[in-house]
Amino acid sequence: MATPARTPAAAGNILEVRNLTKRFAGLVAVNDVTFDLRRGEILGLIGPNGAGKTTLVGMINGTIEPTSGDIVFDGHSVLGVPAYRRAHMGIGRTFQVMKPFPGLTVLENAAVGARFGAAGGIKDMRRAQDRARECLEFVGLGRRIDQRADALGGPDRKRLELAKALSMKPTLLLLDEVMAGLNHVEIEEVIEDIRKVRDQGISILVIEHVMKAITSLSDRVFVLHHGEKILEGPTEEVLRDPRVVEAYLGKKRTKS
Amino acid sequence: MPGKEGLTLFFPEKMAERVLTPVETRAGSAKRTIVFVIVLIVVAALAALPWYGNSVLVQFGISVLLLATLAQGWNIIGGYTGYASFGNSVFYGLGAYGVAIAMVQFKLPFWIGMIAGLVLAVVFAAALGAAVLRLRGHYFAIATLALAFIMTAIVSNVEIAGSNIGLVLPLLKSDVLFYELALGLLVLATMTVWWLANSRFGLGLISIRENEEGAAVMGVNTTLYKTLAFMLSAAFTGLAGGIYAYYITFIDPVGVFDVGLNVKMIIMAVFGGPGTVLGPVVGALILSTISEVLATKVTSIASMFFGIVIVIAVVFMPRGIADVLRRAGRSPLRYFVDNVRTHRL
Repeated sequence: MATPARTPAAAGNILEVRNLTKRFAGLVAVNDVTFDLRRGEILGLIGPNGAGKTTLVGMINGTIEPTSGDIVFDGHSVLGVPAYRRAHMGIGRTFQVMKPFPGLTVLENAAVGARFGAAGGIKDMRRAQDRARECLEFVGLGRRIDQRADALGGPDRKRLELAKALSMKPTLLLLDEVMAGLNHVEIEEVIEDIRKVRDQGISILVIEHVMKAITSLSDRVFVLHHGEKILEGPTEEVLRDPRVVEAYLGKKRTKS
Repeated sequence: MPGKEGLTLFFPEKMAERVLTPVETRAGSAKRTIVFVIVLIVVAALAALPWYGNSVLVQFGISVLLLATLAQGWNIIGGYTGYASFGNSVFYGLGAYGVAIAMVQFKLPFWIGMIAGLVLAVVFAAALGAAVLRLRGHYFAIATLALAFIMTAIVSNVEIAGSNIGLVLPLLKSDVLFYELALGLLVLATMTVWWLANSRFGLGLISIRENEEGAAVMGVNTTLYKTLAFMLSAAFTGLAGGIYAYYITFIDPVGVFDVGLNVKMIIMAVFGGPGTVLGPVVGALILSTISEVLATKVTSIASMFFGIVIVIAVVFMPRGIADVLRRAGRSPLRYFVDNVRTHRL
């Protein structure tokens, strides 16, 4: 690693995002965002559509290059580090627009993560497959491991997306709307799954529109609106804040 | 409360003895053994062919074996990695010229020429790959195609390569040697692809084919893997070109940098089943045989008929023979109709 470890004060944080900005021609998608993710915590990220949440996740895991700012993961700046190396370092993510390997079986899908993920993955094929199978059973796909990924229905694809990220054995997990399109029962299951994942010491950034998930999972929440962080704090407090209500529902009409 | 399954999630080694239904494994390995034995018998029969076949058959064999090697070489970059290369004919030409230049200009033995051609093709693939493997889909195909076209013009102006006149190699009248060399190369290429299909490296390539961004995010060094696949593809293609040069004893730029040959290898690989171990070999064998029979029996409409065979194949079995064998078993009619339907033709 080229960059030396940062200040000891950072020890409690697995991720530190500093003044992160992303400009696409003419549009500022993420503007000067700063936040910390503590070790072992679940941090909620909410904001209306187009707020820049997915762009932010893309910059953290290396699929999008930031315009300016810094990202410190585990004490090292990961700016300029390619996505695959960040995966080796322990950053795993799911995609809102899912990215399965359509022609491969469910097991093979997860096996890619097991064989290439954190620390370069598990080299032994049998053990990698065992791990992949375990992750699939964990998310409830144990019975579908021999099906082709493109034969899965919507909810199962979401589960696969989660299993693929878990199979990488990440220390930081970025979940981009894994519950969108799921019904209430399925959402409860996924919430329970995420809680179990956290209990293993994995730090999680969860983007979600499903408020029940945010309230029951997040230790803290921060709000992105038009690319800027407008609020950060304990979940209950943030969700009651008029600015959050406004960002989501619009301004309350007042007589004037 | 953390669930039990939650805790074990991070200690896969503890779970090693579990699952893997023994019946499945045994059935799978039995099937594998059968295929392996059949392949072994076929290879032995092919190796012995010069001793029971006539010289025409041996010459046809050389041509089929070289084509099968080319299809297999293309299979690595096109079938497994998902990059439809039109630049493989360039590797073929470089391999051929490596041998020709070494033997004619430097009076070196054949095998040194082969090494020269191999190095030329592989180094070229690495350099080319760095530039064009950033492109995806059609753009990659077009970029490599453009290169394949200008290659003829470039080599025509290289004096050491005999300019546009070409080079005449020393004559070695031993078809048996060329036949066995070509067979050996094909076996080597196929063993390599078999290894790919079962290795971590191969899984990386397949994941790139299926979804490149998804692969990178899960830890696959996509740039490195693509380049290595391209180089591996170039290695077998270049070696095939080298054997061809010495066998045919005369090469010129138009002849060995032939884009038509590239199209042929793609058709054979796709016909047989891209991304499978034996598909391209079977495809090359079947298509070469059909085209040979047609050329001798119905000369005038042979090429048209050949075209029709390919069109029908693409419409009804776009994933190749390997897929037909795997999935058409139960209801063949439905399989073919489904193919037409899903691929919207």
